[in-house]
Amino acid sequence: MAGSSSGQKRWELENSVQTVEGSDAYYVYDAAEQQALQQQKPWTKDPHYFKHVRISALALLKMAMHAKSGGNLEIMGMLYGKVQDDAFIVVDAFALPVEGTETRVNAQAEAYEYMVDFNESTKVVGRLENMVGWYHSHPGYGCWLSGIDVSTQSIQQQYQEPFLAIVVDPHRTIAAGKVEIGAFRTYPEHYKPPDEPPSEYQTIPLSKIEDFGVHCKSYYSLDITFFKSSIDAGLLDLLWAKYWVNTLASSPLLSTRDLTAGQIKDIAEKLEACEGQVAHSGRMGRYTGAGAGDKKPSGADQQLHKICCDANKLALEHIKGVSSQVIKDLLFNRSIVPTQQPPAQATPMES
Amino acid sequence: MGTIKSSSSGLQFHIHPLVLINISDHATRVRANKVGQATNHRVLGCLLGQQSGRVVDISNSLEINYHIGEHGVVIDEAYLTKKQDQYKQTFPKLDTVGWYSTGSDVDEGDMQIHKMIMNFNESPVFLLLDPNMNRTHKDLPVSLFESELHVIDGVSQSIFVQSKYTIETSEAERIGINQIAKVLPRGNDKGTDQLTAHYTSLHAAIKMLHDRLFVLHALLRKMMSGETPYDHALIRQAASLVRQLPAIRAASFHQSFSVDFNDAMLTVFLSGITNGIEAVNEIVEKVSLAFDSKSTRRRGML
Repeated sequence: MAGSSSGQKRWELENSVQTVEGSDAYYVYDAAEQQALQQQKPWTKDPHYFKHVRISALALLKMAMHAKSGGNLEIMGMLYGKVQDDAFIVVDAFALPVEGTETRVNAQAEAYEYMVDFNESTKVVGRLENMVGWYHSHPGYGCWLSGIDVSTQSIQQQYQEPFLAIVVDPHRTIAAGKVEIGAFRTYPEHYKPPDEPPSEYQTIPLSKIEDFGVHCKSYYSLDITFFKSSIDAGLLDLLWAKYWVNTLASSPLLSTRDLTAGQIKDIAEKLEACEGQVAHSGRMGRYTGAGAGDKKPSGADQQLHKICCDANKLALEHIKGVSSQVIKDLLFNRSIVPTQQPPAQATPMES
Repeated sequence: MGTIKSSSSGLQFHIHPLVLINISDHATRVRANKVGQATNHRVLGCLLGQQSGRVVDISNSLEINYHIGEHGVVIDEAYLTKKQDQYKQTFPKLDTVGWYSTGSDVDEGDMQIHKMIMNFNESPVFLLLDPNMNRTHKDLPVSLFESELHVIDGVSQSIFVQSKYTIETSEAERIGINQIAKVLPRGNDKGTDQLTAHYTSLHAAIKMLHDRLFVLHALLRKMMSGETPYDHALIRQAASLVRQLPAIRAASFHQSFSVDFNDAMLTVFLSGITNGIEAVNEIVEKVSLAFDSKSTRRRGML
């Protein structure tokens, strides 16, 4: 038991956990303040007004589990919360009885009815916050907004402000061992975003890259942090003493076979597409490269670099998976496999 | 209620952490938003889950609206039915399996609420969560009760009996909890950090296992030296545990394990090659840039 507390403490030190008492303030809802904000509409002045999202433990768990329960189907739901300065505070989420396929999650009429009904009824039990956004899942293809998502979100931002879009990828969550989540807001229609460096690179399958490329300039992502109440914190501390077995028992390699195969295939396809381009630009480079003297890598190089990032990520996931398997093997099967040693983890992992 | 017997129904209860977090959230927000009133405002809710055979899986919950009437707590049943319908639409597999409340001990009036819940499930369970948990206490402040019909003083009446439960997590839930417990900022997504986080949690889990084995070992030693009474049941359990190791001895396991291992290594290798290709490409690019004038001249001569 001593291990649990010291392990927890080390984590909290390493990750500089917010003071627990302070985070309880997120649960207080001041209707007058929100009303005033609703009238001032400070977000209309700057299309980049909101910069942060704070998600409660409850909302994160609900979204992650709901997304996972959908399997390969896209699911969606709504977010409860409020606005504080330039941040959205998401305190809760609820699932909608809608399922979609591919990049086409769209709430139907009955879902709207359900939504209103649900919203009314939760007010009674002390959930005073209003809807501040929606979430949906992208099983296996990363957290970004598709064309349809962008149009849904921009309509909501016109009529339902303040409004936030959250995307969860359940498959990659399992593969990466952390919740893959992204929060987004769209820019107004004719707004030219400043030419900022692309935020954090992420793997997007070849089949979706066109959809991603066309719309990736029409929204921006917000910085996500999580918070928990003091009771949550106490419970989570104690929960660790119960569920550490699951940490040992889980095997990310086995549960993400399909995703892995898909990712390898995707990398192969991208490489193939890149090959022609590299050969081409290589030959062209002789003529144009020196003259222009630009330091910007050509398109093909950038593409190759992205493929490397994908490959590194995949390799990393595999190293994680296989190392836990090997450790378990050493722990519980040692007497029969004395020869199998964990390999030196010295793979190129700069990403 | 006096001493509470333990249950004899033989049902197994699996509680998901989401339920506990949900209850804690419910309690926190009621407390946070009703500053003027009593600080120990009690919250009630309904437990949702699935029963298959003797196993009850409690995986979700919803809040109940109630008011204090003349004879204690009165549940808004119309509200509850409506909420259940709403949840049924989204999670068609989940049924009402019981109810929850915050509080430190079972109350006289609780059986009355329990009977109201029986309208929805004929043998509900009652989960009691103490929000004012004692930090030094090592166990979860959660107790689970079933009701049993007993004849006391010639009158048959239902009383609460305590049941055992285990914490069950789905994969997505486990990752989610891990993430919140550690509060990983999303910003540091770097590969090495992720790997470190993974190893840290693995290490913590193994340490936990080690600690428990250590305790067991110490106990067995004391039993051997006669300091503590000899517990036959415990010794038998320990012996069966030891006999289970090594866990899998089959050759077929060994083979598939190697295959899996090699597959993973191959993926890492391929990724290494891809990285190599990128590096080579970069060199080619730089070389062609550096020797460009020469090559064009040569080309011109040709």
